[in-house]
Amino acid sequence: MAVDLPMPRVGPATDLAPRPIRVVLNWGRRYSLWVFNFGLACCAIEFIAASMARHDFIRLGVIPFAPGPRQADLMVVSGTVTDKMAPAVRRLYDQMPEPKYVISFGACSNSGGPYWDSYCVTKGVDTVVPVDVYVPGCPPRPEALLQGILRLQEKIAAESLSTKGIRAKYAGHRRASAGELARGLVRRPATDGEASTHG
Amino acid sequence: MADAETLERREVPLADWATAVADARDAAYTFFDWLTAVDESDAEENPGFDVVCHLMDGSTPGALRRILLRTRVPEGTAVPSITGVFAGAAWHERETHEMFGIDFSGFDDGTGLGLRPLLLPDGFEGTPLRKSFVLAARASKPWPGAKEPGEGEHTKTTGGRRRVQAPGVPGPEWGPR
Repeated sequence: MAVDLPMPRVGPATDLAPRPIRVVLNWGRRYSLWVFNFGLACCAIEFIAASMARHDFIRLGVIPFAPGPRQADLMVVSGTVTDKMAPAVRRLYDQMPEPKYVISFGACSNSGGPYWDSYCVTKGVDTVVPVDVYVPGCPPRPEALLQGILRLQEKIAAESLSTKGIRAKYAGHRRASAGELARGLVRRPATDGEASTHG
Repeated sequence: MADAETLERREVPLADWATAVADARDAAYTFFDWLTAVDESDAEENPGFDVVCHLMDGSTPGALRRILLRTRVPEGTAVPSITGVFAGAAWHERETHEMFGIDFSGFDDGTGLGLRPLLLPDGFEGTPLRKSFVLAARASKPWPGAKEPGEGEHTKTTGGRRRVQAPGVPGPEWGPR
């Protein structure tokens, strides 16, 4: 996990590419999002519904046939992320090639949802991986996911090709590894006012 | 329960737990369904934990018979393991151990590793299904909505409603929320 690879580059000239080229390249990227569905609970059913014939997000260029995270551009975390599962979410996110995007789909992966005070549910997947678009709902309808995808595509279209922005986006998360996500028990605060909480 | 005539309930003394389960298995209840515990530490008499085991007899098609074995375990007392009767009970006993902190004496799942965590994340401390386990998220994470019925800004406060403090809700010593 500690291997520090340089950001992959399309070519030295792309940083200085003129605006029309940038538009064309971003247009290509936003309409070929190979998606990786991290289905953890009932929201995954809505994701599957969005991928089926009626809603059919392939028409938006979202391709749900990525063989694994190493071939995916977009991860959709749909469902309840538990503390037991959080290291796996992190590990698969780390395996995705950059630039990579995350959609948090549903109340549970946004914030913990109805299980926010549970002993085992992560309080939002954004405590584990950086999230680009949050889709609210419990569960959200497939149309909500389509809207979230459109939002993400607008975001990609607005990106510059320089890797500086992408590097800044991941700067705070580059060093974290899956093993660091283990969480200790939050203890009762000490009576003399000193905080003894950790985790 | 709706089909009470097919469900038999049997209270078992703690010392006879493993033999009672073995007797039930020999009496055609050969399908082990589940084993768990109930926190009865605030019971009026004989506080402790109820260890419950559900077995089924599916030998007659169309006439499923079920049995619910139950024993009361005082705090800190080990329960005789039934992994010698049903090997599949090992997962259930490990889960009951990590969730309630109940020990099972003579536990053997063939690995020799003993009662180790099954479902909880690595390094988790505490026994979360006990009533004494405090849900610390309520104290550490602010929540914009209503936590209990009647607390929302859109609901009318009737005033006369009795507040019931559920087990696990942190008390006032955890600080303001």
